[in-house]
Amino acid sequence: MKIVGIPRGLFYFYYYPLWKSFFVNLGAQVVTSAETNRLTVERGIEAMVDESCFPIKVYFGHIRELCKNQIDYLFIPRIVSVEQRSYICPKFMGIPDMVKARIPNLPAVIDTIIDFSKDKKLMQKEIIRTGKIFTEKTSRINDAYKAAYQELQFCKALAAQGYTMAEAIHIWEGKSPPCPSAVAELRVGILGHGYSLYDERVSMNIINHLRLMGCKVILPESLDKETIENQAATLPKRVFWTLGRKMVGSALHMAQREDIDGIIYVACFGCGPDSLIGEIIERKVKNKPFMLITVDEHTGEAGLLTRLEAFCDMLKRRRKETFANHLPTYG
Amino acid sequence: MQYYLGVDIGSVSSNFVLMSENMQIHRKVYLRTQGNPVKAIKEGYEALKSSLNIIGDSIKAVGSTGSGRHLAAVLMGADVVKNEITAHAVAASSFYPEARTILEIGGQDSKIIILRNGIVNDFAMNTVCAAGTGSFLDQQAARLNIAIEQFGDLALKSRQPVRIAGRCGVFAESDMVHKQQMGYPVEDIIMGLCEALVRNYLNNVASGKKIEDIIIFQGGVAANAGLRKAFEKVLKLPIHVPENFEVMGAIGAAILAMEKMNNAEKETCFKGDSFILEGDFKTSSMECKGCPNQCEVVCIKRNEKALAFWGDRCKKWEATIKAYPEEDRQLSV
Repeated sequence: MKIVGIPRGLFYFYYYPLWKSFFVNLGAQVVTSAETNRLTVERGIEAMVDESCFPIKVYFGHIRELCKNQIDYLFIPRIVSVEQRSYICPKFMGIPDMVKARIPNLPAVIDTIIDFSKDKKLMQKEIIRTGKIFTEKTSRINDAYKAAYQELQFCKALAAQGYTMAEAIHIWEGKSPPCPSAVAELRVGILGHGYSLYDERVSMNIINHLRLMGCKVILPESLDKETIENQAATLPKRVFWTLGRKMVGSALHMAQREDIDGIIYVACFGCGPDSLIGEIIERKVKNKPFMLITVDEHTGEAGLLTRLEAFCDMLKRRRKETFANHLPTYG
Repeated sequence: MQYYLGVDIGSVSSNFVLMSENMQIHRKVYLRTQGNPVKAIKEGYEALKSSLNIIGDSIKAVGSTGSGRHLAAVLMGADVVKNEITAHAVAASSFYPEARTILEIGGQDSKIIILRNGIVNDFAMNTVCAAGTGSFLDQQAARLNIAIEQFGDLALKSRQPVRIAGRCGVFAESDMVHKQQMGYPVEDIIMGLCEALVRNYLNNVASGKKIEDIIIFQGGVAANAGLRKAFEKVLKLPIHVPENFEVMGAIGAAILAMEKMNNAEKETCFKGDSFILEGDFKTSSMECKGCPNQCEVVCIKRNEKALAFWGDRCKKWEATIKAYPEEDRQLSV
């Protein structure tokens, strides 16, 4: 049986169930790297140029970990676009080449081109090209993809209930779901690229920190896609980054929701799109507390905790005040 | 007399105040942390103690804040452990109920707090850059051989401030060196620096925030009259510096401790004189080998007995202290 390694980084958090099921349906075995830890980070920083963003470095760390295993293939898709007229960060496009250039002695790389920018035909060809590595039967490849797509929908449905994509993947793999937080005093919307937000090391565990501080976190995956698109469409120019548009749309929607107390945007230091999108959101969200958190490879949590604590304090006091102002004066 | 003790352990300075119930500051201590918060806490407490006969019994509650607030809470026993933003806001709005903007510049961070009706409505902190904070001023003062206390007054003597790049500490320094070698008077250079820092602060930290009267300027850097003047020049609004501007965080912590104790009938967690002064506090760190994260775990010990652990992501070390009775708190690594 052939073994395919899938690094636990970047779009793993959005598509792992699809990718894994596809290969498993074709008779392969899938292994993945461990959750991002200090070693992953060290390996990644060593292997990648300094200018790249932190999640890319982490991805390199995951690849180096996988290379230590006996694997036949390494799945590093060349992601150009996941929907029409929209794109992903250009670094994703070049990542198979960057990996080949920087990491020696790689196993065979499966560099499926994922590009929905024009139509679905190219994707169809790529699915067959990828599947042919394992089987000659086109019908079997198509069936494998269809079934895998259903698995992804299952995870997305979990995320819609409020789990992070990382948690949804855990549950999908048969592990027990995390305990729901007790009483949530506050509801905080959190935005950010999935590969930074749902990687506990990259995001410095921000989601769980907030949950421990008594917040229910509202994530973009739990929002209705159409609502997000409609909100994003109110901008004078269409945002052509898939994730950027999702963030702007989610932020604008969250800003209007009365049950959400505040919004936090987790940006990566050195991310071009983030620097623009964060700014747009900050300018557009006027009626609700908004905080931008910039993460990078540092591990010191003091700065993060101070900001989160102060943010929650502020939300609680604001809530008290709003409540006090609405008390009837006629007794 | 009963007092509330407020402690603010910052990256650069450690501040202590003893506040009475009517919010009078009985005594304040401002110390340099100098990279050793444990020593600073002991020294600070000793300095406070010298002003009272029996301090231990007269302390009704303790509040700690600043980046070293958890350490202070372990070493002294604190009833309230609060972040510095909330503490600063509470202090400012207690003394200036009408305040709408707080500019706070400390040793390594700078923040802006927007208050409406006495509560925090919005705030921002410097993100990835410490240009323009106290430690940069310190460093420049040392380089020019000026005592930091005289920095501001000297800046006020300037008649024609020079233009210094304020975006980044590295550029600012190279600009200053260049201007100094060209022969510009030192007071013009440092006033230029003050103006550059204010521009940097307003463009970065305060970007997009509506700065409205009444403006309170606090934190250690508020001692600098040059910066005060530069803020007034740019904002065209008067800047108020509270009497105890350098210890406002500690005052906020004391007020929060007072509020908490008034609402709850309970004994203070304060550990008393002998615990703080006679204990031999040591910190040690080790790399946990429990998982690939290899967290750097810190242990705070008093007379070889572990008081607290932190730094572990999974909290398995941190939890040991709460899980076991006191006699079992021996670190066995």
